[in-house]
Amino acid sequence: MTTEQIDRPLTLDLSGTPRTPFLRLVRVEWRKMLDTRAGFWLLAITGLMLLLTISLTLLVVTLTDSTVTASGLSEILMLPVSVLIPVFAVLTVTNEWGQRTHMVTFALEPRRLRVIAAKLSAVSGLAVLTIVVAIVLGALGNLMYGVLTGNEVVWDLEASTLAWAVTVQILFFLMGFGLATLLLNTPGAIALFYLFGFILPFMVYAPLLAFFDWARAVLPWVDMNLAGAPLMAGVDLTGRIVEVGLIDYARFGSAVLIWVVIPVTLGSLRVLRAEPR
Amino acid sequence: MIEVNSLTKRYGAFTAVDDISFSCQPGRVTGFLGPNGAGKTTTMKVLVGLAPATSGEALIGGHRYADIPNPGRHVGVLLDASAQHAGRTGREVLTLAAMEMGLPRTRVDEMLALVSLTPAEAKRRIRNYSLGMRQRLGIAHALLGDPSVLILDEPANGLDPAGIRWMRSLLKEYADRGGSVLLSSHLLNEVELIADELILIGHGRVVAQGDKQTLLEGTHHDVTLVTSLDNTALAAAAEEHGFSVEAAGQGLRIGAATVEVGRLAADKQIVLTDLRSGASGLEDLFLELTSSTQRDDLGGVA
Repeated sequence: MTTEQIDRPLTLDLSGTPRTPFLRLVRVEWRKMLDTRAGFWLLAITGLMLLLTISLTLLVVTLTDSTVTASGLSEILMLPVSVLIPVFAVLTVTNEWGQRTHMVTFALEPRRLRVIAAKLSAVSGLAVLTIVVAIVLGALGNLMYGVLTGNEVVWDLEASTLAWAVTVQILFFLMGFGLATLLLNTPGAIALFYLFGFILPFMVYAPLLAFFDWARAVLPWVDMNLAGAPLMAGVDLTGRIVEVGLIDYARFGSAVLIWVVIPVTLGSLRVLRAEPR
Repeated sequence: MIEVNSLTKRYGAFTAVDDISFSCQPGRVTGFLGPNGAGKTTTMKVLVGLAPATSGEALIGGHRYADIPNPGRHVGVLLDASAQHAGRTGREVLTLAAMEMGLPRTRVDEMLALVSLTPAEAKRRIRNYSLGMRQRLGIAHALLGDPSVLILDEPANGLDPAGIRWMRSLLKEYADRGGSVLLSSHLLNEVELIADELILIGHGRVVAQGDKQTLLEGTHHDVTLVTSLDNTALAAAAEEHGFSVEAAGQGLRIGAATVEVGRLAADKQIVLTDLRSGASGLEDLFLELTSSTQRDDLGGVA
């Protein structure tokens, strides 16, 4: 070592550097969700499907002269949102592994829990935003329905129904996020999400429920759709109106535990410990 | 500025990094040198907190990397130039990093200019980048936050000779301004060109470290490559003096220092057309030090 080097500081002075603000991390994660082609098209297709859904619904309703209400419309419009947008929750995690950008992400913010929280916030924000768009479109559709058919416009979307719809949507987002952190693999996480979120409930659970008592006893404890139905709409599996009791909340809690709490917790632990290669 | 003390990293029964210690000084470019699988990347990952150490510690400026707030402003990291989203443009990658570090967007343009990526290139998606362009982008990314420490894994990989020369001057200027650079490479000649200090690592252990001259002085390889107008006479003269002689391409490889061979030729009035040292320097040293039979014995060369 020569003398000129001795004058140079050997320690980093960190006093002037504040921690990266959490909101900035959220903004970065938000941008990362949307700045790739996959993100752009996913959002564009969701928007197109929303427009298509509302147009088709109005067309059919007008032609057949049937009636539709605000709550019915928003329920229909929630479908494209719930099908496509959770993929964002998966991609925000698995893209980092698939493209190996996690090295950069975790080098810029070594406190990985903050990164996970920022991603969760960004994804939840997107969930809320798309739901709001769906509801606004539903309201516009309802107005147009009144104009097109001359029928009386029914505004029957209750706040509690809406709150539950939003809650369940966000829980499905979190389920996608949890599966993504557990698997850290895009195709695997998306496949599992659709399998347990859509395919099994509609293709398998429905017939099981129709024929087997054990299915009626067990499935509401393990499937979020089934567990959520009484709370959201006040109807049971068969569509009968039910009195919502403690057991319905217990079932919902159990399904949320299985599909949200456990995957997100175990997945986050995995992300915290993973060594990027 | 970088202090690694008795660092060990095991994966199950496999020891990737075995009790290594070294340091990097400000104002110096330190080359971290070793064959593939020697433990360079693992060491760097522990340094920047991407992997926990099994034992020992790695400090940057007296801090653990994970304890540095907004670390991009203090430590520039390039671990893998290909670890960027192939669908993002070069500019977008830098913009994201600038946002996260809280830097003005003008900094992105400055860095793009610094690494000679044109505006048109910066608009292209990274999947269309050559490895050399990815390395330039990676360097821009590492320098974005104006850090005082640079940690670069194989930064010269994929660069053409002009690119390597560019990187040498870039890092030299950076070090002259007081920055500390740790860069790894498995290409010895490449690092020989760029680095002031060298750390040689093989099988997870440091086999030699020190500044380049000191390390090279330790190699006593008197070998000369020579070509003359009369190789036969020169070979005979060399053998007369007891030097080993063998044919090498157009000329001869003689087991003597260049000055001896030159003197010999002058005595015999043989015209030399080419005369240079045949010792391949670091490469010989490196192979010698990392050969499996000697690595344990030579641990303390530096």
